[in-house]
Amino acid sequence: MKTITLTLKKKSQIALEFDELIPDKVFTWEKADFENYQVPVGNRRFPLTDYFDIEVEGTAAGPEEVKMILEGDCGRVKYIGCKMGAGEIIVNGDADLHCGAEMTGGKITVNGDAESYAGREMKGGELEIMGNTREFCGCSYIGDWRGMSGGKIILHGNAGKQLGECLSGGEIYVEGDCDILAGIHMSKGFIQIDGDVTRWPGGQMKNGNVLINGELGMLLEGFVYDEIVRDPVIDGKSFSGKYIKYTGDLAVNGKGGLYLNAEKNRKYL
Amino acid sequence: MMEYILKNGIVYDPANNIAGEKKDVMFKDGKIVENVSSDAKVLDVTDKIVMPAGIDPHAHVAGPKLVVGRIYRPEDSRKGVVSPNEVCRPESGFSIPSCPATGYRYSRMGYGTVTEAAMPPLEAKHTHEEIMAIPNIDITPLPLFGNNWFVMQYAKEGQIDELAAFISAWLKITKGYGIKIVNPCGTEAWGWGGNVHGIDDPAPYFDVTGREVIRALSQANEMLGLPHSIHVHPNDLGHPGNFPTTVNTLDCVKDIEKNSSVRNQTIHLTHAQFHSYAGTSWRDVESGAEQVADYINKNKHVTCDIGQITLDETTTMTADGPMEFDLHQLNGLKWANKDIELETGSGIVPFIYSGKAPVPSFQWGVGLELFLRIKDPWQVCLTTDHPNAGPFIRYPRIISWLMSAERRQEMMDNLEVRVWSYKRTGLGTLDREYDFNEIATITRAAAAKIYGYQDRGELTPGYNADIAVYDLNPNDIDPSKEPAAIEQAFGNAMYTIKDGQILVKDGEVVKVVPSHTLWTNVQGFEEQEKAVMEKVMPTFRRFYTVKFENYQVQDHFTPNPLITTVQASK
Repeated sequence: MKTITLTLKKKSQIALEFDELIPDKVFTWEKADFENYQVPVGNRRFPLTDYFDIEVEGTAAGPEEVKMILEGDCGRVKYIGCKMGAGEIIVNGDADLHCGAEMTGGKITVNGDAESYAGREMKGGELEIMGNTREFCGCSYIGDWRGMSGGKIILHGNAGKQLGECLSGGEIYVEGDCDILAGIHMSKGFIQIDGDVTRWPGGQMKNGNVLINGELGMLLEGFVYDEIVRDPVIDGKSFSGKYIKYTGDLAVNGKGGLYLNAEKNRKYL
Repeated sequence: MMEYILKNGIVYDPANNIAGEKKDVMFKDGKIVENVSSDAKVLDVTDKIVMPAGIDPHAHVAGPKLVVGRIYRPEDSRKGVVSPNEVCRPESGFSIPSCPATGYRYSRMGYGTVTEAAMPPLEAKHTHEEIMAIPNIDITPLPLFGNNWFVMQYAKEGQIDELAAFISAWLKITKGYGIKIVNPCGTEAWGWGGNVHGIDDPAPYFDVTGREVIRALSQANEMLGLPHSIHVHPNDLGHPGNFPTTVNTLDCVKDIEKNSSVRNQTIHLTHAQFHSYAGTSWRDVESGAEQVADYINKNKHVTCDIGQITLDETTTMTADGPMEFDLHQLNGLKWANKDIELETGSGIVPFIYSGKAPVPSFQWGVGLELFLRIKDPWQVCLTTDHPNAGPFIRYPRIISWLMSAERRQEMMDNLEVRVWSYKRTGLGTLDREYDFNEIATITRAAAAKIYGYQDRGELTPGYNADIAVYDLNPNDIDPSKEPAAIEQAFGNAMYTIKDGQILVKDGEVVKVVPSHTLWTNVQGFEEQEKAVMEKVMPTFRRFYTVKFENYQVQDHFTPNPLITTVQASK
């Protein structure tokens, strides 16, 4: 087991990029290696020691034995855990754009908020965000029709627009509220939102399932009422209570499932 | 300028009937020469393959389609990213490279000249601006005429003299090299939400057929004696059962007499693979390659390029607007569409040609079947219709497939391609393997002949010193058993020499030079042009939303022109 602790001592106005500092690449590194490392900042590089105090304890035979702890407000540190395949990263503070993007394994915990594109194109692993996130959590790269395809995102706060855009696998859980167009263009996978949803979940959805336990502000016309279901099992998961089930989005001949908690959404009955 | 001698290379120069001869190639002041002095710099290329630099007769590398493609496919742009170095700017893009990347990548492969095969006259300025941004290769733009309102009207009325004068004027106005025809009358029908089906189905309103347009443009082409023949993308691209349309297209100009000494053909069929399908639907589709190849083998007025599928995720972009909409309906991916007023249309759709799917496997087989069945290598050119059937960086891989029956069989056996590749095509029965001389023909000499180039594609004294050297000893390698080595070597030239300057060494770009633009200036038709312009201008002013003064391409849009002067006989 190797524990790498990076404690923020200076916040940069221009974002640092941490895509090279993932367990898969640094599991053999010692303190001296981190001290020698120059971190990308804009189109230049600066010593990591300009921004973080470095502590390395223990040894690791592979990335799965690495725990990396980032102490402090990393609101200007982009690409934390980007492309990581194993190991653990804990951010005790906020995280900037693309946190957990393209992850294939391992776990990231953000004890704070995460900026846009958290979990973009995830293929595996787990991303847990204790605070809120902004647009495009668990989505595709801009312009691409293939989004997050595996893994799990757990969001304890609120989600922004277009959560899970182009979702083609994996699971997203939001304990707070969610803004417009959750699950837009999704073709597979599962999204659960326990708070309220502004409007239009599942737009142009082809398949997969979206479950909403809070109140939905506005339902898209492309969703057709199916039935009331009680204690449904969805994608192998059991839910208790009554749900209004819809199928859609008919605009693209979609066959996805949209489940609205019946108690919170009486206006649709 | 320096004198150079490429020492002891094994030379393939089909135009001069040199097929693997060990000899020196000498150049001075940017030209091939017969002798150099003892001061000449010696480049030891002992037992390495030496060929003229490659010529791509059909690609989409410059112009507004490329820009729209880059903007609307950012997920393609982030692939193929290469950092800058002391010589080169950064590269980006896989199927649609940035302009500098386009030049670097062709140059690395040993290419020196590329055709931009679809330039809408209205967007000619934009195309020329992009050509300026592409280094290291010369570019030949072909303006589009097959759905042009003036052209359709002349064809309808049978006014060939006026059409010839119109073409003569428009090549000057757009600084284009020759006549391109795309889905004649079909893209015009698309403006009405339809398409045409075959060469005898008329366009709405104009009530003119593809046959009439193709024949009229071919007659005008021969009247002017343009260096390149008409260059045709027939109706019905990509449709099962389309090969009769293709054969009818080729046959409908058979009687038109050639009026050029610099080329052999009167019609060039482009991306033939997309036009060689039998059957009636995707359920019962079969290859029509045998029928198309048979026609070509029996008729010398035809040349073609193939448009080989490379089994990649790529971007389709073409003036065939209705076909692009069909593709979007088929694969459900995003679609961009544009009308080019009075001239043509355009569409863009991403496409995934996966060897795991039956249709792309079939198309892959059709393309290779055409290459293997067309007997005369002077009648066929290697293309992928970049980026439509795959990116041009795959040309070395296609070369490895053509030179190795074993590799083709392995791909079919290993399920790198599905069973349709051999059950629906004749590929499984064809064991022909191209030799290096045939490869040099289909990638160099044939394209130069087809375009009527008098300065490139040959290692003839007086010609441009456009030369490629590949790190392969043809006496040591067995291309049939070593396809990977063939792909590697043809993808990374030992030397690429252009106008006598070494641009690539050992697969790396070592020098960057501006591109030249090739266009055709017809002389001797000035009076006829003037008369035609007087008649055309009222219609132009009425229907175009731009002023004529803003339409024509001024000289500063082609800072490095190479002008082919043609003396029209009339």
